[in-house]
Amino acid sequence: MKVIKEAIAGTLESSDLMVKVAPGTTGKRDIVVHSEVIKQFGAQIRRVVADALDKLAVTEGSIVVEDKGALDCVIRARVQTAVLRGAAIADFPRNALS
Amino acid sequence: MIVPTSDVRFDVISPADLPGARAEIAALLAASDLDVDGSIETFVVGRSAGRIVACAGLDHNVVKCVAVSQEWRGESLSLRLATEVVRLAASRGQFHLFLYCPPHNRRFFKGWRFYPIVEVPDVVVLMENSPVAIRQYCDALAATRRPGRTIGGIVLNANPFTLGHRYLVERAAAACDWLHVFVVKEDASMFSYADRFSLVAEGVSHVDRLTLHAGSDYIISRATFPGYFLKDRGVVDKSWAAIDLLVFREYMGPALGITHRYVGTEPLDPATYAYNAAMKIWLEQTPSPAPPIVVVEVPRTMVDGAPISASTVRDLLARGDFTGIGKLVPATTLHFLETEAVQHESH
Repeated sequence: MKVIKEAIAGTLESSDLMVKVAPGTTGKRDIVVHSEVIKQFGAQIRRVVADALDKLAVTEGSIVVEDKGALDCVIRARVQTAVLRGAAIADFPRNALS
Repeated sequence: MIVPTSDVRFDVISPADLPGARAEIAALLAASDLDVDGSIETFVVGRSAGRIVACAGLDHNVVKCVAVSQEWRGESLSLRLATEVVRLAASRGQFHLFLYCPPHNRRFFKGWRFYPIVEVPDVVVLMENSPVAIRQYCDALAATRRPGRTIGGIVLNANPFTLGHRYLVERAAAACDWLHVFVVKEDASMFSYADRFSLVAEGVSHVDRLTLHAGSDYIISRATFPGYFLKDRGVVDKSWAAIDLLVFREYMGPALGITHRYVGTEPLDPATYAYNAAMKIWLEQTPSPAPPIVVVEVPRTMVDGAPISASTVRDLLARGDFTGIGKLVPATTLHFLETEAVQHESH
């Protein structure tokens, strides 16, 4: 799946996160994660984000994650939503979302 | 707190509805020492029992006039407000947002995930909602960096490009090992950015050792020009130039190794005159982590005893005086203006 336009998902509230996606300029996947719990869970958050992107076959684009201490399932859902909005896809690829 | 923050409902106030809500918003802002900024198109407001308890204004890609009523602070209401503003901007295609705040509120807006770009000490901080945008911009600029001891920079609005601009560019290029020219991107001028840019490109094509750069949100833009939230208008005037110039000094300057900034003397327009004066303060004199950039004022080219100015060209254009225009602009600009005029008439 290809990110063709900028899109956001999520909120800036506690226990949530905001994900911003944009078309890539470097030809690769450029992920930036900011989190209030980066020291404790940074690696885990990055894993969840990368996994969600892998399942959607997103290989390039800018993905910025502004985390406010969200649970993994929330992170996954926000990343998926942002990518689907940024890819402007009407058909929901449900099997890629589990 | 008697009423939970979940009872606060957020709403967008369009310009048409603003008159009705303006007094209430103004009162909320006044409690935080802020004025209603005239350039704001839309407000997001939070209401509890019909009363406005939080607001944030949006002027294209700039967030301003943010306030939360005293009795609602400390309840994270502002994070819902932040989310609503970001969503509103996104719905209008604006994803890269800027924000101005007094330095003591910098930490507060970090919670909004805005990141500081530059600060005018004790006056104002410019922030943007990306942790990487300005670094990526500077990386892209740095790829066009050229070696040399004297590296010049010029920022042109060129509305439209005149012989005065050409003279400035030629003089600067002759004095530098390399010259970087930026064209102001903001479409707030008579001529569009695309037209202004191509006229500059044609007008400087004969100059060697020159790179022409596209404009950006970081150079003389809506984002780098505040002019809003401070009560003291003198301070506003001072800080709008300061922010823009500090961004140039601390980001463009180091990325390209710019040592000198060239500008035409300004005998006519008071705003530009003030901007030139501010250049010396903020690019050269103010202490900064970035090295100083020497400001070089090049005297304006004179034609028939008057300095060449783009505003004179626009006045002549309004009168259809192409003979007069021909004395002030290069052939490329004249050709463009004549073609435009013909198209206007045929419509």
